[in-house]
Amino acid sequence: MSDASTTDDVEPDHDHEHHHDHEGPGYSTPQAAIEESEREKLAYVMSLYVGTDVDEPDFVAVVDLDPESDTYCDIVDRIEMPNRGDELHHFGWNACSSSCHVEGLERRHLIVPGQRSSRLHVIDTKDRRNPELVEVIEPEEVFEYDLSAPHTVHCVPDGKILISMLGDADGELPGGFLELNDDFEIEGRWEPPGEIEMNYDYWYQPRQNVMVSTEWAAPKTYYPGFDLDDVENGEYGQRIHFWDWENGTVEQTIDLGEEGLIPLEVRFLHTPESTHGFVGAALSSNIFHFWREESAAPRAADEASGDEPRASGEYRVEKAIDFESREHDDWDMPVPGLTTDILLSMDDRYLFGSNWLHGEVWMYDVSDPANPRRADTLSVGGTFGEVQEVQGRELAAGPQMLQLSLDGERLYFTTSLFSSWDDQFYPEEAERGSVMLKADVDPRNGTMTLDEDFLVDWGECPAGPARAHEIRWPDGDCTSDVWQ
Amino acid sequence: MARYDVTLDRVGGPTRTIEVDEDETVLEASRRSGIPLPYGCRTGACGTCVGRLLAIEGAESGGGATDADGAPIDVADAFAYRREPRALKPRHRNDGYVLLCIARPRANSRVAVGSRVQTELVDNPWK
Repeated sequence: MSDASTTDDVEPDHDHEHHHDHEGPGYSTPQAAIEESEREKLAYVMSLYVGTDVDEPDFVAVVDLDPESDTYCDIVDRIEMPNRGDELHHFGWNACSSSCHVEGLERRHLIVPGQRSSRLHVIDTKDRRNPELVEVIEPEEVFEYDLSAPHTVHCVPDGKILISMLGDADGELPGGFLELNDDFEIEGRWEPPGEIEMNYDYWYQPRQNVMVSTEWAAPKTYYPGFDLDDVENGEYGQRIHFWDWENGTVEQTIDLGEEGLIPLEVRFLHTPESTHGFVGAALSSNIFHFWREESAAPRAADEASGDEPRASGEYRVEKAIDFESREHDDWDMPVPGLTTDILLSMDDRYLFGSNWLHGEVWMYDVSDPANPRRADTLSVGGTFGEVQEVQGRELAAGPQMLQLSLDGERLYFTTSLFSSWDDQFYPEEAERGSVMLKADVDPRNGTMTLDEDFLVDWGECPAGPARAHEIRWPDGDCTSDVWQ
Repeated sequence: MARYDVTLDRVGGPTRTIEVDEDETVLEASRRSGIPLPYGCRTGACGTCVGRLLAIEGAESGGGATDADGAPIDVADAFAYRREPRALKPRHRNDGYVLLCIARPRANSRVAVGSRVQTELVDNPWK
């Protein structure tokens, strides 16, 4: 079962000053990922029927992205889950570039959580085109740790897997983190319970000994749909948490205020030395830049404890991009952009994002992370999009989950956010299904062009229209790989 | 063991009646009977399985919801919950919404079911 069959033979040396051999999965540096990777030829895409009247389980779609192939733009395989009701959402690899020096590990197994069911699936992708479901952890096993609603999956060094969990066993707060071992068994809770209340996405920079996590809400709050009353009652998050990565404890919490309501996707720069990153506040439709600011003075807590003074400093946050709400003739109130996904190109030069309600994919030059410069915007789908159909296929919703080729030249996106929220804002998506679209990116000039020859249509699935959500490449991508 | 008839009136679809034991949930009985209902968490947290109570046979009046004839109906007259229905707010409970994944029958009843019932729980707040 384990992908780490030979790790016992490997010296557990993670000191980067002295050990930098590339023996394991992934790439030795972000630049190596750009130079050494081949063009993506397959995508794995979360696909779902949960919450509809189609009595079928959710599935992982294998999409052919090879323009030379006869089945280009087709779903060439579907790995069905054994149960209904999962709401497949985000997923991740058993190993990535964070283990690039660990001989014997393979980037081979996908950990696929059910957001609603709290069930965890393991898919073996040894045969990239025909992956196979090999393991299922049932919800009851997860509830034993008083956790539910799995979200972000990152492999962490040494073959372990860490999953952010948004609620307790009853779907209330607090959430936490669940750790799996390299045999895909639950190891336990990663952090001392109670470090945080709300949880959502996270990213880590092991060389900086830091993790950052964000906040959505209690599962019972966001599961049924988005209710403005819940925002007014403070049921939605607006804080981000900086953790001591080795100790699993929160070192610093920053309240983003009303301008930072519902901070969802969070990304550190890929450069492993960097402390800079970005977080998208979905409801306020703002992007915040964060970074660690070193200080010469020791912190008060260090002085008071009598401990040896540590290198002092703390994380700072500043609003870097502000998307304004727009008036629409048919809507009663100005419509927020709803910035639901962001990603950084592998060279850390561009930040891409999606404004799901407005119908925009945007691209900012973040060469200077403190001063993002708008490069280009693509107006497609959503409430205001200039392009509302592709190849005669009417779009039902706005751009949502993004994935970028490792070379930064092709940006793909799907249109489903979350089944119950889709039904509120884009009820047509249940009838038409999602699509996957592609923009050709010119990184030199900072432009994007919609590729109207590219369309993958989940409206044509055999059992009926399905929703499509997160996208991953078999050999690493811009939203999964971390460097140790 | 008591058994009750629960009539599942699918919005935009067929109406089917199933027998539900007093100690099983409507969702469990529907799976056993081969009549699909949407569901998600099965713990009362997500609301995917929600139905709307339309009528109770021989029930006393109570609550804020009314049946087709205008008579008030109360979910508690028709179902006992296995655990707390966390996905429902007070307004939903007063309006007769019921989480079928954790609801066990206490009377014969008729319930609107299907994915369209779930979409009634929340509106688009901007539109």
